Amino acid sequence: MRRNRRRRRDQGSVEMNLAAMLDMAFQLLSFFILTFRPAPVEGQLSLNLPPPVPVTKVDQQPKENNSGEAGDLVGLDTLHLQVMANDRGGVRQVILEASPVVQGEMNEANIRRLDRELQAIFGRKMIAFDRIQIAVERRVRYGELMKVIDVCTRQKTPDGQQMRKVSFTELSTGGAEAP
Amino acid sequence: MSEMNSERAEPNLTPLLDLVFQLITFFMLVINFKGASMDLSLKLPVLGSARPLDRQGKLEPLLLNIDAEGGVHCFGKLEEIEPLITKEARLLKQQLSVMGTPEGAEFPVGIVIRADRAVPFHQLNHVIEVCQKHGYRQFSLSAMTRQETR
Repeated sequence: MRRNRRRRRDQGSVEMNLAAMLDMAFQLLSFFILTFRPAPVEGQLSLNLPPPVPVTKVDQQPKENNSGEAGDLVGLDTLHLQVMANDRGGVRQVILEASPVVQGEMNEANIRRLDRELQAIFGRKMIAFDRIQIAVERRVRYGELMKVIDVCTRQKTPDGQQMRKVSFTELSTGGAEAP
Repeated sequence: MSEMNSERAEPNLTPLLDLVFQLITFFMLVINFKGASMDLSLKLPVLGSARPLDRQGKLEPLLLNIDAEGGVHCFGKLEEIEPLITKEARLLKQQLSVMGTPEGAEFPVGIVIRADRAVPFHQLNHVIEVCQKHGYRQFSLSAMTRQETR
């Protein structure tokens, strides 16, 4: 009985022709190799970008409450930065509210300086800034601006979250705000 | 001659096929379908703090590539920004109303901006303003996490 079964299996054994399947597999492989493009190592800076708010109150408010204390700016919720351009589209100057804090290109030293200045402002617990509004001269290149945005998004809002609310306005050359 | 025919050598193709299938599996797993929507010729700014986007199950964001001259490319096509965003916002509103999202609410979907590092601010700002006008508030600005060595 056992011998019969073995004989039947030997006679009916099927050998698949793998050459055709291999051809197809090689074609698929060629397709994937030719269309293979490794994804770039990219990251994102997630921001909430609401439309800008008018800036007319910025200069007035600290003067009205001029008591000489750190609490002068209480009631403001938008911190204003201005980014001025040099001839090459780099950063010439960064002005925080009304005072220049960075002079020259955004190199490591200036990035640290801007970070320190912003940390000092955001560190005052009584000031509830929940948004940064950046007025940027139109010639400033995106790559340079991103360095400023990066520093801004490192700051913490009063509820301990990272600063994500940023607005942009355009400064025409010379510093006047575009209409 | 007849002896040669009777002893025809047939290579065992099974291991080769296994190998090829494994290679195909590898390439299928690493294939980048999003690559078509990205303009890989752009020189993105470099920011070490940039992190991969976590969509948390939200709808797919709209990806805009802005070249150094300020041209907006979407899926490889140079587009006019105003009609493009108008169309996308209209489609999104329809989709959101089907999903039962209240009208007038902030779009839960964002815009991913992949802009060349040399693009002047006013051109980038124009794109952002158009998107804001149509209700977009969530933006992701793409950057390389490290300098390309090429």
